[in-house]
Amino acid sequence: MTISKYIINRFFLIILTLFTLSRFNSIAAQDADGKQLFLSKCASCHAPDMKTNSTGPALFGVESQWEDKGKLHEWIRNNQKLIASGYPKAVEVSKLTSSTMQTFPDLTDPQIDAILKYIDDKGSGILDAGKNGNTNGPATGGSDSSQHPLLYGIITLILALAALILIFVNKNLRKISDDTEGKKSPEAVPFLQNKIYLATAAILLFIIGGYFTTKAMINMNRQKNYEPRQPIFYSHKVHAGINQINCLYCHGNAWESKTAAVPSVNVCMNCHKTIQKYNGPELKDKYGNPVDGTAEIAKLYEYAGFNPQNPDAWDPNKAKPIDWVKIHNLPDHVYFNHSQHVRVGNVQCQTCHGEITQMDEVHQFAELSMGWCVNCHRQTKVNFNVDSTSGNQFYSIYEKFHNDIKSGKMDSVTVKDIGGLECQKCHY
Amino acid sequence: MNKYIVIATVAFSAMAAGCGADSNPGRSYMPDMTYSRAYETYASTADLEKEGVFYNRKPVPGTVARGEDAEFAFNLPHDSVGYAQSAVLKNPLDSAGAKMDMKEAERLYLVNCGICHGAKLDGNGPLFNGGDGPYTAAPKNFMAADMKALPAGTMFYSVTYGKGQMGSYASQLSPKQRWEIITFIKSKQGGGAAASGAATDSTKAAGAAVAADATAKK
Repeated sequence: MTISKYIINRFFLIILTLFTLSRFNSIAAQDADGKQLFLSKCASCHAPDMKTNSTGPALFGVESQWEDKGKLHEWIRNNQKLIASGYPKAVEVSKLTSSTMQTFPDLTDPQIDAILKYIDDKGSGILDAGKNGNTNGPATGGSDSSQHPLLYGIITLILALAALILIFVNKNLRKISDDTEGKKSPEAVPFLQNKIYLATAAILLFIIGGYFTTKAMINMNRQKNYEPRQPIFYSHKVHAGINQINCLYCHGNAWESKTAAVPSVNVCMNCHKTIQKYNGPELKDKYGNPVDGTAEIAKLYEYAGFNPQNPDAWDPNKAKPIDWVKIHNLPDHVYFNHSQHVRVGNVQCQTCHGEITQMDEVHQFAELSMGWCVNCHRQTKVNFNVDSTSGNQFYSIYEKFHNDIKSGKMDSVTVKDIGGLECQKCHY
Repeated sequence: MNKYIVIATVAFSAMAAGCGADSNPGRSYMPDMTYSRAYETYASTADLEKEGVFYNRKPVPGTVARGEDAEFAFNLPHDSVGYAQSAVLKNPLDSAGAKMDMKEAERLYLVNCGICHGAKLDGNGPLFNGGDGPYTAAPKNFMAADMKALPAGTMFYSVTYGKGQMGSYASQLSPKQRWEIITFIKSKQGGGAAASGAATDSTKAAGAAVAADATAKK
């Protein structure tokens, strides 16, 4: 019963897919024009999915809402004229949004028909059904191959214990065989009173304990891998990775000031006024729990005081700041300036922050220890090509270095050479 | 006795090693040298607000930022009248003596605008991607005729206050940077200053007409 049902289902699905595919192909040829026109003329204000309200209202079903098709054409060409003439539907539609629609006097009747047909096909999902048929089977999988150091530790411990037991067994067996052979063996010392064992254990404990204690003391106040829970699950991977938004779009201050800037809510809303749903790849937090991207965008709206049903009424002045948790905390006695590194030094963001474009929630990638800073200052070469436009003209004042480079005494100048290791550069 | 000391050392070091990782920022040796006594950038100013010091308020209308030249001041209101008036606004960077770094303007465009309007100014940046991207409204194509005809002043108004689905960029770009980007776009649109000048002339009349119309409606 179930098998036959399965086969019928499958068969039906295949037929459906083939049907939509063939339909899609024929539509695609016809509607290329309609799509083109829609994207160039209408899509700035009307959402291309035809179902959400944007600057203009959603367009799906617009044809059926207008009794007189001729009037709809008239509306599209010059809506102002139609409103002025007092046509009731036109007056009704003009009150849907606060913005007035542009006029398109150049559109011909066949062009408008092509656009309307595209709206209908796109809105009813025919086009997307074909598309889904084409690109079916998203790549899933990738087995969970995380390593468990704890597991290896336990296995090592068990093996060590087994070895110890075997040593004792071996010792006892030898003693028994010695006894039977009549050999004299030294009197056995109880385990806990054996000085060799005790001394070995003490030395081992001292070394291991000392190692961990020193390490812990050095690592105090260092936060490598710090990954706090943020108020909104903001994925840098989705924004900077998949959608290729430049780091400086949100963190523009990194170019011109000490801090890299946490973007204010209005910067988020530049895009999220329009992007109200998350349609990207599945999101997971660091514990592997699925995250609903659309719900996270809704959290942003909560802070912004934005109502997606009524976007026109949004007042950016009433937005509340989001309490992001700062991850990279330098102690107060260290001075660090972003613009000095990003703009002057041409250091990539990823050098210190790691592969941000691959991180969902950000963790601290670098140690941010003094040794780490100093090491980079020792190794990084300064662009001393002041003759070309690529080099920083400020470095032309280092006459001695330029002469040394010319005479071959130095092959390159590092940050160290221009004072990058002086205490008061960062501590004052 | 020795044994206990060793055990205590190991236990303590294991505990200390656990700090400073994952979701715990850890401890520091000298907290008063680590955590700033002064207000840090982006730290909460709730305490100040209780005392009546408002750190995050918008500046008074007409404020000119320090270091900003007065010629970049922009005081048109955010309504249809301001929009219409913006058409006759002159780009201060078009004047003969103005210094203009086109490379910097291009950088600013690519960082702030290219994501939607495209690196080629064709209105097809990675966020829209021909309708397949997450952004659902088609960004304006700067290479289209209507955008080539758009006066620089109107573009400045739209960048400052936002237009349609586009948000205001006043918080991200200084007025000078906004004018630099517009100069860059106008130069890429071709014709350079000559074409934009002609466009301004032809739209000037239209802008004035709309302004008159808007005031009449009021």
